[in-house]
Amino acid sequence: MTENLLDARAVRVQFGGLVAVNDVDFNIPTGSIVALIGPNGAGKTTFFNVLTGLYTPSHGQVDFDGKSVLGVAPHKIAASGMARTFQNIRLFGAMTASENVMVAMHPHLKSGVLSTIVRTPKQRREERDARLMAKELLEFVGIAGVDDEFAKNLPYGDQRRLEVARALALRPKLLLLDEPTAGMNPQESATFTQFVHRVRDQRGVTVLLIEHDMKVVMGVSERITVLEYGSKIAEGTPQDIRSDQRVIEAYLGKSGTEAAK
Amino acid sequence: MATAERTAPRFKVESLLGMAVLTAAVAWIIWSFSSGPVIFTQVLTIGLSNGALYALIALGYTMVYGIIELINFAHGDLFMLGSVIGAIFLEEWLGQTKSSPKAWLILALTMLFAMAACALINMFIEKVAYRRLRNAPKLAPLITAVGVSFILQNVGILMNGSAPHSRTSVLPSSSLELGPIEVRVKYIVVVAVTVPLLLLMTWIVQKTRVGKAMRATAQDRDASLLMGINVDRIISFTFALGGALAGAAGVLFLEVNQQTRYDAGFRLGLIAFTAAVLGGVGNLVGAVVGGVLLGVIQALNDGAPHFFGQQWTQTVMFSILIIMVIFRPGGIFGKHQQEKV
Amino acid sequence: MFTSLVERMQPTTDNGRTFARYSGILAVLVVAWLIPNYIATSTEGPLPLFTVVLCAVYALFALGLNIVVGFAGLLDLGYVAFFLFGAYTSAWLMSDFFYQVNPRDPSDKQFSFSVHFLSTASSKIAGIHLSFWIVIIAAAAIAAVAGLVIGAPTLRLKSDYLALVTLGFGEILPEVFRNGDNVAGYNLTNGTKGIGPVDRIGMGFLDKLPGIPSTIVSSDYKTKYYVILLFCALFMYASIKLRDGRLGRAWMAIREDELAASLMGVPLMRTKLWSYAVGAIAGGVGGAFYATIVGTVNVDNFTFSFSIIVLCAVILGGMGNVWGAVLGGVAITWFNYTGLVYIGAQVNKGLGTHINLKNYEFMFFGFVLVLMMLFRPEGFIPAARSKQLKKADKQVQSIETAGVES
Repeated sequence: MTENLLDARAVRVQFGGLVAVNDVDFNIPTGSIVALIGPNGAGKTTFFNVLTGLYTPSHGQVDFDGKSVLGVAPHKIAASGMARTFQNIRLFGAMTASENVMVAMHPHLKSGVLSTIVRTPKQRREERDARLMAKELLEFVGIAGVDDEFAKNLPYGDQRRLEVARALALRPKLLLLDEPTAGMNPQESATFTQFVHRVRDQRGVTVLLIEHDMKVVMGVSERITVLEYGSKIAEGTPQDIRSDQRVIEAYLGKSGTEAAK
Repeated sequence: MATAERTAPRFKVESLLGMAVLTAAVAWIIWSFSSGPVIFTQVLTIGLSNGALYALIALGYTMVYGIIELINFAHGDLFMLGSVIGAIFLEEWLGQTKSSPKAWLILALTMLFAMAACALINMFIEKVAYRRLRNAPKLAPLITAVGVSFILQNVGILMNGSAPHSRTSVLPSSSLELGPIEVRVKYIVVVAVTVPLLLLMTWIVQKTRVGKAMRATAQDRDASLLMGINVDRIISFTFALGGALAGAAGVLFLEVNQQTRYDAGFRLGLIAFTAAVLGGVGNLVGAVVGGVLLGVIQALNDGAPHFFGQQWTQTVMFSILIIMVIFRPGGIFGKHQQEKV
Repeated sequence: MFTSLVERMQPTTDNGRTFARYSGILAVLVVAWLIPNYIATSTEGPLPLFTVVLCAVYALFALGLNIVVGFAGLLDLGYVAFFLFGAYTSAWLMSDFFYQVNPRDPSDKQFSFSVHFLSTASSKIAGIHLSFWIVIIAAAAIAAVAGLVIGAPTLRLKSDYLALVTLGFGEILPEVFRNGDNVAGYNLTNGTKGIGPVDRIGMGFLDKLPGIPSTIVSSDYKTKYYVILLFCALFMYASIKLRDGRLGRAWMAIREDELAASLMGVPLMRTKLWSYAVGAIAGGVGGAFYATIVGTVNVDNFTFSFSIIVLCAVILGGMGNVWGAVLGGVAITWFNYTGLVYIGAQVNKGLGTHINLKNYEFMFFGFVLVLMMLFRPEGFIPAARSKQLKKADKQVQSIETAGVES
C-alpha cells in the first residue's frame, strides 16, 4: 500500500522553447479529492496529458500506484486504473451511450474473436453483464434511460455525465476530470459537488480535477494545487489557497489585488 | 500549442538505422559511378530533368495538403490532362510538329494555355467537390479525391483514346556534347523552364499578399477568417497555382516523352506524392528537393550500373514512400507533429 | 415521448422485430439458394450465371473491406494485396505449376514436387494438388499473415497516410509477383504468363458418397455458386457478431475518436491489426475461390482498380453496414461484368450509336465515389445506426430552428 496514489516529481514538459510544465512536484493521497487550478494556459491539461501517457516529459518521474507511467502506452495506463474526461467532450458520437460506456470496459472483458463469432455461453454472459453494468453506471451519473441514445444526440450536460460514466467503466483508481462543470448552469454545478463526493465515497475512486469555477473548487476539493505559467505557485487546503497572495495575483493581476484592497 | 516531440529511445535507434541506410546508399552510388562514369552521368541528367517534373507536380500536392490537409489523389491525373490538352493545342489546333523557332514560341503559348486550363479545372474540382466536404469526416474528401482521379482519367480517355497516343516534339532532338557525356537538349529545356517557375512560386508564396494569406490560412483557417481573409478564395487560388504547375509539367512531359496516355497520371502522381512526403508534406522547398531526389533515384535505378533496373521502378519508389511515411512522416527535414488534445 | 423514442431504437430486444429480422434473413437465403435454378447458365443476356457467381465473390470481398473501412474506419486502398495472396495460394497448391516450370536453360534451377491430397486432379499429373478445402484455409491464413505484416508498420499512421501506404503496397506486390519468375534462379510466380490451370473444387473422399456431386466440374457454376454462397453467409454472420461484440465496439470507437479510444483502454495497434487480419481473410478466401472459377491466375488481374471497385461496393451499400456491403458488392459487380455491356448494347440498338460504354466503366466508379460522398455519405442502405443518427439530426435541427429565442 502506498500512501500516495500518484507521485509526480520534477515533471518538466517542453514544446520547443516553450516550457509548458516546469519542474512540478505533485502528489495525490489515496482516496482524496484534489484540484488543479490556474489561469488559462498554465499547463493544467498538459499535465493531465503527461499523467495519461500522451506526452513524455523531458525529465521528471511519475509514479502511479507504485509504478512508473513514463513511456507506458496510454491504453495500458488506462487499464491500470487511470481514467479521464476531456475538456472538449470526446465521446464516440455515433455510438450509443451504453456502447460508449462498454468501450471503456474493453480491458476488463475477455472475449476474443472466435468466442465472439461462435457466441460461447461465457461470451454471452460477459456481454449481458457488461450491458447491465453500463446501465448501472448511467444511472449512477444521473442519466438513467439514455442507454440506446446516440452520444452525439444527448444534451450537452448529459454528454458530460456520459463521459464520467465512461471513465468510471474503466474501474479506475484515479479519475481525472478536465473542467467537468464547463457549460453547466449554477444549479448543476452545485449538484456536481455532491456527485464527486459520491464517486469517491461509494466507488472508492480518488479524484483529480481541473476546474475554473472557484465555488466548485472550494466546495469539493480537500487539497488544491495552483499552476501559473507551468510552475507550481501554491499548494494547500482551500483555506490556504483562498488567502494566498500569489494566487490572488495570478488570478486578478497585480492591479486587481490593489483595487481589491 | 499542444504539440510535442516524443523523445522515446526508439527514435535514436531509428536515426542510427537511417544513418546506416544513408551510408549504404552513398557507397552504392559511388560503386555505380566508378563502374561506368559516363553512363552514370548521362543517367543523372535524365534524372535531374525527371526530378524537375516531379518537383512541379509535388508542389501541387504539398500546397493543397498544407492548406486543407487533403491528399489530392486527382492531382496526378490533372497533370495527365495537362499533357493531353497541351498536345491537342499544339499539334491538332496549331499544327506544330517540327522543331523551329516559331514552334518554340507556340510551345511557350501552349504551356501558358495548359497551365490556365489546368488551373481552371483544379479550381472547378475544388469548388464542386472538396469545398462541400471541408468539415466532413476526413475519409470523405479522401474518397472523393480518389473518385475525381478516376473521372479525370476517363476524361483523358475521351480526349486521348484508351491507347497511348504518340506525339511529336517541337524541341530539337540534338544533344550537347560535354566531353564524353551527351546531354539531350530537351532535358536542358525542362530544367530551364522549371527553375524559373519554381522561383516564381516561391516569390508568390513568400512575398505577395496572396501568399501571406495562403500561409495564414494554412496555419489556422478560423483565425484567418476572423482576420478578414477570404479563405474560400485563398484555397481556390492554391488549387489554381497547383493546377498551373501540373499543367506546365504536363506539357514538359509531352515534349520529353513524345507520348500522351490517359494513365500517365496515376503512377507519376504517386511518385510525385512520394516526393512531397520525402520533403515533408506542406514544405514547398522540401517538395522540390524531394522531387529532384526521386527523379535521380529513379533514373539511377532504371539506367545506372548495379541498380535493379526498370522492372523494379515502382517497387523502389513506393518502398521509399512506405519507409519514409513509417519512419519519418515529417519528411527528411520535418518534424512529426502530434495531435492536439 | 422520450421513452417511446428509446423503445423504437431497441430492435434487438424487441421479440417481434427479432422474428421479422430472422424471417427476412431466411427469405433472402431462400431466394439466394433458388436463383441459379431460374436463370440461364449461358454467358449472355442480362444475368448470366457466371456473373452471379462473381457477384457473390465480390460480396465477400466487400464484406472483408467493410470490416477495415466501415467498422474500424481505416481507408485501405490496397485491398488487392489480399486478393492476390489468396489467388496465388490456390495457384501454387492446386496446379501443376511446381512441376511444369520449364527451365529456360539447363542451368536454371526448378522445383519439382508431386503431392496429391484429396484433390480432383488425376494422380498422374505432377505438381502440388491439395483439396480445395485445405487450400481455402491456407489462403485465409496466408492473407491474414499478409494483413498483419502490411498492417504492423503502417497502422501507426494517420488515416490519409495509411491510405497511401496501402496503395503503395497494392502497387508493389503485383510488380514483385510479375518479376517473381526469377528469384535467385527460381521461378515462383511464372511472371506475366500466369499460373494455370487451377484444379477444380472437389469434396475429397466425400466425392464417393452418394448424393454428393462427384466433382465440382469447372463449367458447373451452379455448384460453385453454392460454395461461395456458403462463404458469404459465414462471413456475414461473423461480421455481425463481431460488430456487436467487444472487438466491434473497439473498432467503432477507434473510427470515432482514436485518441479517446486509447485513453479508454483500447489497445490501438492490436485492435486495428485484428480488423486488418479479419478483413484480409475474406480477401484471401475470395481470391482462392476466384482462382478456381477462372482457372488461371495472372498477375495482370491484380490492379488498383480492383481495390477501388470493392471500395465502391462498400460505399454504395453504406460504410459499416453488412447487408449494404453484400448488396453493394452484387450491384457493382453485375454492373461491371454484365450490366454496362448489356445496357450499352441496348442503348446502341435503340439509338443506332456505337458507344462502347465498357471503356468508361471507371468514369462510373469515379462518379459513384464522388456523388455518394457529396450527397449520400451514409450509403444507399445505411447502417441502422446512421439512419437513426440522421433522423435525430433532423429533429435537433428542427428544434433549433423553431426555438430561435434560446
